[in-house]
Amino acid sequence: MNPVAIHDLVALLVVAQLAAPAVALAAIGIPSVLGRPLREQTTTRLVGASFAVAFVASLVMFAVLVGRGFKPEIVHLGTWFAVGHHAATIDLVADGLSVPYVCFSTGLCLLVNAFARKYLHREPGFTRFFVLLVLFGLGMNLMVLAGSIDVLFAGWEFIGISSMLLIGFFHERANAVQAAVRAFITYRICDAGILAAGVVIHAAVGSGDFDKLFHGAWPHAVCLVSPSTAAFIALLLVFAALGKSAQVPFSGWLPRAMEGPTPSSAIFYGALSIHAGAYVLLRCEPLLDAAPAVGWVLVLIGGGTALHANIVGRVQTDLKSMLAYGSMMQAGLIFVEIGLGWRVIPLIHVVSHAILRSLQILRSPSALHDRHALAAALGGQPGAGRSAVSLLPHPWQVALYRVALERGYEEMAVMRLVVEPFRWLITRIDAAERAWIDWLGERHRP
Amino acid sequence: MVLRSPEAHGARDEIAAVIAATAALLPTQGPIDVFVAQNILQGFEDRPFDRALIEASHIFDTEPFLPESTYREEMARGRIHRSDLQAVLDADLGSDGSLPLAGGRVTLREVFLALLEHPVHQEDDVAVRWTLTEREPFRGDDGQDLWRACLEAVSLFRTSVIHTLPPARPRDLIIAVDPTLDTDALVHPLLIRFCAAFLDQGVAAWPMPGRDHGLFEAVAGLHAWPGTPTEPWSGRLPAELAQLRGQDPLAVIAGAVDRLGVPPAARDEAVSRTLLALRGWAGMIHQLELRPDRAPVCRVPARLSDFLAVRMVMDRAATQWAATQLGHAGDLAGLWTELRDRYPPRRGPGSVARAFLLCQVARLVGLTAAHIRALDENELVQLERAVHGFDAVTRRRLFHLAYERRQRIITLDALAAHDAASCRPVADRPGVQAVFCMDDRCESFRRHLEEQGPTVETIGAAGFFFVPMYYRGIDDWHATPLCPIVVQPQHTVSEVPEATAVGRQHVRRTLRRAIGHMVGGLAAGSRTMIAGRLLTAIGGAIAAIPLVARVVFPRLTERLAQATVGLGRHRVATRLILERHDDHRHADGTLHGFTIEEMAEMIRRLLEDAGLTSRFARLVVLLGHGSVSLNNPHESAYDCGACGGGKGGANARACALMANDPRVRRLLAGSGLVIPDDTVFLGGMHDTCSNAVVLYDLDRVPESHREETSRFTDAAEQARAADAQERCRRFDSVPLDVTPVEALRRVEGRAADLAQVRPELGHATNAICIVGRRWRTRGLFLDRRAFLVSYDPDHDPDGAILTRSLAAVAPVSAGINLAYTLSRIDPIGYGCGTKLPHNITGLIGVMDGHASDLRTGLPWQTVEIHEPVRMLLVVEAAPELILSAAARMPAVEQLIKNRWVHLASWVAPGGGLLWFDGERFVAYQPESSRIAVVDRSVDWFAGHRGHLPPARTMAALTGVSR
Repeated sequence: MNPVAIHDLVALLVVAQLAAPAVALAAIGIPSVLGRPLREQTTTRLVGASFAVAFVASLVMFAVLVGRGFKPEIVHLGTWFAVGHHAATIDLVADGLSVPYVCFSTGLCLLVNAFARKYLHREPGFTRFFVLLVLFGLGMNLMVLAGSIDVLFAGWEFIGISSMLLIGFFHERANAVQAAVRAFITYRICDAGILAAGVVIHAAVGSGDFDKLFHGAWPHAVCLVSPSTAAFIALLLVFAALGKSAQVPFSGWLPRAMEGPTPSSAIFYGALSIHAGAYVLLRCEPLLDAAPAVGWVLVLIGGGTALHANIVGRVQTDLKSMLAYGSMMQAGLIFVEIGLGWRVIPLIHVVSHAILRSLQILRSPSALHDRHALAAALGGQPGAGRSAVSLLPHPWQVALYRVALERGYEEMAVMRLVVEPFRWLITRIDAAERAWIDWLGERHRP
Repeated sequence: MVLRSPEAHGARDEIAAVIAATAALLPTQGPIDVFVAQNILQGFEDRPFDRALIEASHIFDTEPFLPESTYREEMARGRIHRSDLQAVLDADLGSDGSLPLAGGRVTLREVFLALLEHPVHQEDDVAVRWTLTEREPFRGDDGQDLWRACLEAVSLFRTSVIHTLPPARPRDLIIAVDPTLDTDALVHPLLIRFCAAFLDQGVAAWPMPGRDHGLFEAVAGLHAWPGTPTEPWSGRLPAELAQLRGQDPLAVIAGAVDRLGVPPAARDEAVSRTLLALRGWAGMIHQLELRPDRAPVCRVPARLSDFLAVRMVMDRAATQWAATQLGHAGDLAGLWTELRDRYPPRRGPGSVARAFLLCQVARLVGLTAAHIRALDENELVQLERAVHGFDAVTRRRLFHLAYERRQRIITLDALAAHDAASCRPVADRPGVQAVFCMDDRCESFRRHLEEQGPTVETIGAAGFFFVPMYYRGIDDWHATPLCPIVVQPQHTVSEVPEATAVGRQHVRRTLRRAIGHMVGGLAAGSRTMIAGRLLTAIGGAIAAIPLVARVVFPRLTERLAQATVGLGRHRVATRLILERHDDHRHADGTLHGFTIEEMAEMIRRLLEDAGLTSRFARLVVLLGHGSVSLNNPHESAYDCGACGGGKGGANARACALMANDPRVRRLLAGSGLVIPDDTVFLGGMHDTCSNAVVLYDLDRVPESHREETSRFTDAAEQARAADAQERCRRFDSVPLDVTPVEALRRVEGRAADLAQVRPELGHATNAICIVGRRWRTRGLFLDRRAFLVSYDPDHDPDGAILTRSLAAVAPVSAGINLAYTLSRIDPIGYGCGTKLPHNITGLIGVMDGHASDLRTGLPWQTVEIHEPVRMLLVVEAAPELILSAAARMPAVEQLIKNRWVHLASWVAPGGGLLWFDGERFVAYQPESSRIAVVDRSVDWFAGHRGHLPPARTMAALTGVSR
């Protein structure tokens, strides 16, 4: 086939990835907004069909790409606006990173749809769940296929908002709503990183396109900006990634996020959402190559998170928190791998961890069943494994246990060191502003 | 500390007494792997049902009955009749009903009936004003005039101010004064973490240090390390806990209550409320204190006083913090009084709201403006007081009684009508007798089996078949008790491979162990750092296979798993070690097997209680039941209640083997119970989820009985498919026109499906329990709603059998019924809510999400289609015999006298029914003697999702008699 035809085919497939969930979103969202939600079966069939289309399209795309030795294809969908040399373009990219990733994410969405179809049967929020699931799928595809920081940001936000609303799915319970708000605030704080990175990228290369920022096929692209700019952008992206991937010190929301229905916990916090940060870092890997110091920052944060999650995870007594800390630890290790400059290994790690963890979360209500089966097979209860903790002197063990039970005092520290000073500052600013306005009012009184 | 004084000792005893009294109100649910449905309000059984529900609703903040709107909907669709409302209202009012109101123009009864039949709006002034301007409810000159008359009337006098006592617990006072200050919201997250860590049965890799010394010591020990950071409210908590270490928890509680500043008069109430504030966790601690052996993996020294001590110390710290937020400095002694003064008083309805209600009532009962104006103040006060007194709870209570009354009439009418058709079987010897559990889910299976032909008879008995035992199957790692939860078995029965299968079993066990180590290692490893890193990278992708398979092809995957991971379990021939040859006791104190005398005694009990002492068929099949489903923390709730939340197959198998033993039969014959030599017993198991039926020891059936056996197998095969079809009509996701074969595939798929939250519906819809001879109910479609216990009054002149039968049947069936009924009435307060966010914690229970109270009761998905009505216990015995039997068992008598079950006596055929009205039996007059007649059950239920009234199915009756 000639290159133009291939480009058109890839463009078609890429657009299908986005169009399919978008159509399903409109088809089930609009009637539900109008107060006439579709029947359960119609809803799940629409969502299932849209993910199936996206999944098949991604597989074809993968085949095409393999045939062409993973040569990237950039699909230009249009320009949002352009001012002089500046342009915010809507670009998508199909390359060795995005295509395997989108295969796996749409496949998982398809599977979770099949699961939730039965799991949420007759639940009052049935339609809402599927609207959010398909919104998430759309956001995920948008983020993964993004060829520019602007598109990536849009996808990133879809993921964030659907995640928040699914944590608060049971909004009649205060715990669920509080957990949702906490996750949302964490997300919003870290989103500032991407937004700022976008501004810097636009300022540096006059556009949000990744192909202006680096050149070549993933994972061997070369950075086109100066090392200091690269380091600055990379740091901002790392900051953004911390929230979504629940890295220290922004990890407190993750165990609390297990308030929604089990399938949404599986896909968000076991599989896809938790790895969104890692994906963005992989996408911008040339920046990390150009700024090795940022890689070390990543190693430090990821390693710290893994250690934190390991110790805290050991004392968790409920299945979902335990699995949440398991996810957090693996996400930390993935950050370490990215920081060390590896590219394909973290990608494989992400995919296999996501699959394993979502199976574990989906199966978590079977814990008793599985435990009995295991005990029967072993002829007794499985013993606790030995760990390095038992080498510590006893009082130290007790102290460490308490630290672990308090989740490493992470939230407390963030509250004390960040939230409260910030609140203090904001109240002061507010008071100053009021005083200023009053003063102005006095002056201009006739 | 100064807690050694005699005064302090008095306080200690008082606290201990409050704890003991409050403990009776805590949920009685133990660790979730043994879920036995019990009356959720067991602690209230000493008072009448409806009063208990209302009182409990104040204590637990739960709903006493269904919402009024639900009852009105039921009325609109004909489930509640007008006559039901009138009947319950008359019974409730007695002679007060004729009390004249409004100058004799109406009676009390008329006013109340109008309020029941027509919804009135009871709102506050603001809402009423809105309704008046937006909706204009009183249109036209007459309407406006009436409205003015009512406004004038209420302005003549004031209603008395409602005095409500401020709550006793400081937390409740604080939150009433400032709704943003909830000390429980501060304390609970930490307390839940402590409780979960303390009770954990092996989820956490790292157990709580020091938990062998009890919860209080363990928590205090954790705080011994100085200088740990705290939250603003818990600043002084670590120091305080460290200082209290080693003290008596009761003294700690007394000290903390003292320092909370609660006045002595409110102290008991405050302590009690505090203990109930996290009642799921408190209840679990209490259960494990009473029955430490019920901990699934490791015993923990759980004590309610420890829990309350930790809680009180934390509460005090949080209250101190809240007090500073409220601007109260210094110690807490003055806080309580200060808060009481600030406690917002509750006002009665304003005059507009009063007039609005009066006006609506006036219109309902036909009072005009002139009538209202003509009333003097006394008459007005009387009318208004009556209307206000008839509040929402009273209306809901009456609606509920009417709702139950209709259900009762439908059932009793059907029984009376069916009497005409039912007849004593004439055949000398039935073809086969099948003994089932009394379980309501077996009703349909039995019916479908009987519809196969006149030669099949079924019998209902308690599903452990009177063989109380610890049982250890070849694949079990320890023995589990299989008998009612109140019985502690004295004997252990083991399953061993036959001599020819020992080699095969050895290979299986080795393989299973190897796989177990691998799977266990994988699961644990995926959460550790180094191994997890490698494991997830390598094994993760492999996990995709079971993930996809389980979700997309559940039934196929299960079959594959059984064939591979089961490692050919079905190909290992086994036997039970039933007989005891020495009196050597196991480490757990039980004896290994039974003596011949013990066996004969158990068989006699089973046969006599069920009235099966003559007319033995050549084949008697005993079918135990259980339920296997995946991804279901409440799996055990679907198992056999008579087996203590276990599976009754082993009991049936053991019972059949014993009954076949010639030595047992000789002993029985010696005492007059003759089992013919050509009668063979066969044990089996019925899975109520997948509808699978397995028969045990088929190779031991003599050649002479092969034909009967294969005929029964065929009949059972037909019956289980028909039963699956009947069950499927209740599943919204299964089309109504499903064939029996497809229905079987569906139920098998549900059992194996990870995503299925309704693998089966358990005891939902249960409403009836009939104790009597089966032939009187044979051929009656009871819609899987009836527990059926076989009992023959002809063989029990003095009521001895009835007494021991009711002693087991009444509490068990009433317990199941009340667990479902209460969980349905308030799915959040009594039930455990929707299953979707459930999170298994410590292998002992479920929480909602990541940190909530332990959720007890039944999940919404299980009770969704349940009709919350009390059980109607129909006993085929004379009234005086029933009452004298009940009088011998205080627990049963309490259930009957306080109306936790409804009772009816169904005397000899043609003798009619008698109905127990709470004090005595009265003859029941059927409303209608008509009953639908169909050929088979399927003709009656096909195409219907909802509850169906009883009907006569001729297929089960033809050829049986006449």
